[in-house]
Amino acid sequence: MKRNYLKTAMIFFACFGFLLATNALAAPKKIVIGHPACLSGKYAKAGEQAIGGVKACIDWVNNVYGGVQVAGKKLPLAYKYYDCESKKEAVTSLIARLITVNKVNVVFSAYSSGLTLRGAPVAESHGMLYMDHGGANNKIFRQGFKYIVQTIGPATNYHQGTLNMIQKVDPKAKKVALAYEDSEFAKMVMHGAEGHAKKLGFNVVFKRTYPKGVTDLTPLLSALKASKPDFIIGGGHFEDGQLFNRQMADLDIDVKALSLIAAATLPAFYKALTSMAEGVMGPSHWEYGVKYSVEEAKKVGLNWIGPDQDEFVALFKKALGKEIIPDYHAAEAGAQVLAYVLAVEKADSLDTRKVRAALGDLTFMSFYGGWDVDDTGLQVGHSMVDVQWQMGKRIIVWPKEAQTGDVAYPMPTFAEKARGKVALPR
Amino acid sequence: MKKEITKYYPLIPVFAAYLLLFLIGRNISGMWQLVAMLLFYCALGQAFNIFLGMTGYVDFGYVAFMGIGTYGMALAITKLAHIEGLGIGIIIIGFILALLMSTLLSVAVGAVALRLRGAYFAIATIGVNEGFRFLIEGARIWNGSEGLIFTAQLNEILGREAASSLMTYWADIMVLIIAALAAFVTLYYMRSKIGYALTALREDEDAAKVMGINVTKYKIIAFITSACFAGLVGATSWALKTPYVFPPEVFEIHYTIEAIIIVLLGGAGTLLGPVAGGLIYGISKYYLAIFMPGFQLLIFAPIIIIIIVLFPEGVVGMLKYRLKDSALARFII
Amino acid sequence: MLLEQLSGNLIQGIILGAVYGMATMGLSLIFGVLKVVNVGHGAFIMVGAFVTLWLFNALGINPIIALPGAFVIGMGLGLIFYYTTMQRLIKAPELATLLATFSIGILLEELVKLIFGSEFRGYNWVVGKIDIGVTVLPLSKLYACIGSVIIALLLYLWFKKTRAGSAIRSVVEDSEGARVCGVNVGGAYALSFALGIGLTVSSGVLLTMFIPVGINPYMGGGYTLKAFVIAVLGGLSSPYGAFFGGLVFGLIENGSYTLFALIPGVEPFALTRFLSFVILLAILLIKPTGLLSTK
Repeated sequence: MKRNYLKTAMIFFACFGFLLATNALAAPKKIVIGHPACLSGKYAKAGEQAIGGVKACIDWVNNVYGGVQVAGKKLPLAYKYYDCESKKEAVTSLIARLITVNKVNVVFSAYSSGLTLRGAPVAESHGMLYMDHGGANNKIFRQGFKYIVQTIGPATNYHQGTLNMIQKVDPKAKKVALAYEDSEFAKMVMHGAEGHAKKLGFNVVFKRTYPKGVTDLTPLLSALKASKPDFIIGGGHFEDGQLFNRQMADLDIDVKALSLIAAATLPAFYKALTSMAEGVMGPSHWEYGVKYSVEEAKKVGLNWIGPDQDEFVALFKKALGKEIIPDYHAAEAGAQVLAYVLAVEKADSLDTRKVRAALGDLTFMSFYGGWDVDDTGLQVGHSMVDVQWQMGKRIIVWPKEAQTGDVAYPMPTFAEKARGKVALPR
Repeated sequence: MKKEITKYYPLIPVFAAYLLLFLIGRNISGMWQLVAMLLFYCALGQAFNIFLGMTGYVDFGYVAFMGIGTYGMALAITKLAHIEGLGIGIIIIGFILALLMSTLLSVAVGAVALRLRGAYFAIATIGVNEGFRFLIEGARIWNGSEGLIFTAQLNEILGREAASSLMTYWADIMVLIIAALAAFVTLYYMRSKIGYALTALREDEDAAKVMGINVTKYKIIAFITSACFAGLVGATSWALKTPYVFPPEVFEIHYTIEAIIIVLLGGAGTLLGPVAGGLIYGISKYYLAIFMPGFQLLIFAPIIIIIIVLFPEGVVGMLKYRLKDSALARFII
Repeated sequence: MLLEQLSGNLIQGIILGAVYGMATMGLSLIFGVLKVVNVGHGAFIMVGAFVTLWLFNALGINPIIALPGAFVIGMGLGLIFYYTTMQRLIKAPELATLLATFSIGILLEELVKLIFGSEFRGYNWVVGKIDIGVTVLPLSKLYACIGSVIIALLLYLWFKKTRAGSAIRSVVEDSEGARVCGVNVGGAYALSFALGIGLTVSSGVLLTMFIPVGINPYMGGGYTLKAFVIAVLGGLSSPYGAFFGGLVFGLIENGSYTLFALIPGVEPFALTRFLSFVILLAILLIKPTGLLSTK
């Protein structure tokens, strides 16, 4: 009986040892991007998109661009990802594995500011370049990490463009209501928006938050209605944005403009709300339809790299094997691949320090738009666009340089929308 | 004298497991962070087991103590960083604060919830955890939902190199020490009056009361001890290893569930159980994440159900039963 | 002004509370009979939401007609999980049943994710609304409220008037005694578990009538926590208690916002949640049998 247990234990350890041994095999002669992606758990949606974006751009670099030119050789890119389950315990162990076992050359962060922060010390201690396409919190870049570089724009910027636009379109609209989710990300957006609104001379008539995972916003919205704002900016993540819009319709809260972060720019938003979403806006890092192109890059004097927008979308669909349009989570992850490729070529080396320095100097344009980071690694070169739902389509309405159509302002009332009126620019 | 030593024999397999983990982490490249994750799960299981295993009470809001411990360390670092010359002392103050705060919270919770039993107790503790989180967010205590981020302060206090090795190595060593300490305390309790009293309580609380055992006292002792260890785990595994606190993350009820799974897999109320449970849980999740990214929960959920139905005593519980009369019996409890 | 807002919120609160109450009856029923806390409660609500969504979007069937369908599906799920898992755990310690129901919840979530994906979905059932001055009430919300009341009444009648209902009641009172009197206790367990899950799944339909957006595999977690509070308000083991607990909860949640908003420098919405958990603890301590009981 006893021996049986000994035997099982031995088999167990033998298997364990075997797994360790197989891990040690690393393939040479290619540049590997490591990624503790969020394939399941609460960030699964964004994680799937990011993987598609990375795969699409790697495909482009290897097959169209012809590989990465470094030290006189063209090296192909490879991609190694695991599922971190959107949990911090897994993030650190998977990053360590990517660095030491898979010998990756760069690590892309997991989605969200929390998980990005969790992985940073481990990447830093291995002297590994750590690229952030999912953590928008500005404070990440005030912690003194040396090898972290951001592709996603900082959270404080999200609603600044919207405010600029409204000031331009309707100088008489002065009363703004802020209603954001009570989370570190949305709060940061709110701070940025509030400061900017005051700077532009708006009058903040309502400023409240609602907790994460809220299922009924009625009390907050009734109070908001009573403050009679001209327009509303707010939001947090996905389901709360849908709820926000829906319950505004239920309570007949009609304003001239409504802009919600994260939720409003996704196709699922319109699919869930249909006509109620007409005229609703949202800021986005990228949206299908942006006008960044080789010519545009020339005009502003930036280098261009990467697939054009339609190529990217086609590669993305091929990478995931699904008929879905990429959203900004995919685009920023893809653009990050391109930034890394350019930096490696510029540094002509795979050495972390040199690539990091090259990233600091790098500015370029891709389908994702401009790219430029400051000394701390914070993204400053990418500007956000504002998207509006018009006749069931996402139209980029701001900034002027990127727009695919004029803004429909004011937004039709919910009663009009229920009767079938759509948002169209005058 | 000899009896004194044999009393502690059951610690041998526990410490051997930890030593093995430590050696694997040190000597095989790329394993340290995995070892760190496993140590976290083992420590979590052991700390949780002190209360759950001994009393049979399911504290569903257990993660609140980890959260408050995290805040203890975070507050020490963020509030005291500007004082010159404290250096590593801040970490010690942080531990003291973490212990103090988790003790205070556990006394408060204990006074309220420990009057309840069974499902009522479980729900009450969930209430404490959620209520506490919403209080922090709603009343904007400790920076509310924006939380605290303090890697910069750690760098400032300890210097970049030291801070980096603290976050990626020494914090894990501290978790190891906490786990070992928890094992020791568990065994100590088991072999003392507390253990016997709590065993009586677990079997039949009312009968124990009638027999004149001061049930409440021992229950509270176990509860506070368990909470303190949770606070320490939070202070190291979360605050020191990951220098930030966001309330929804440190009060995430999922960690309680993980603790329950670990203890149940290994065997509730056994000494070796949480270690075995932590290892099984951590290793299987890690390799599922690597070989089947995206499907681990789908595979994991039915496995847990099957284990509960077929082996309600857990791995170590079963082992203990099988080895009852063999020479190994005194090593495994 | 303030009073107007408060009264508007309270009316909304009652309507929402009725739906919440209905969504908790299944939890209380299962606890009352089997002494099992269904930690996977929210996942069954989610199943109901997906049933409604799918019937509406794919087949154009309106949510009211989806209700009996969801109930049948729920009963089926309940029977499956009872005979594969719960039956073996009736006598096991709390720990095992808590973990088992939790795992069942995860299993359902992951299965639904596999089939429908993790997208946030919604449907748009247009039936109009009425403006009552202090607030606006969409008819779909009113239907959800009325549906909840009717289901609660039906359950009440079923317990009072039918043989099976009184058998279950006798098991709640004293399962050993019931066994001696010739009641098929195992059957009563299976029936109540299936009924409880059936009620929970159909409450998912009513909840989507109230909030027809944000439907996704992980939507249940928040409802599980709410259901715990509500169930305790109603005494945990009584389905009707739970219904009235829901009404009280809806009033507290919606009413207290306006009051908390008067305090400067706080986030009133988070404080309404804090308050509901404080009430939970207070009731557990002072009157664990629930607000309504006379014991």
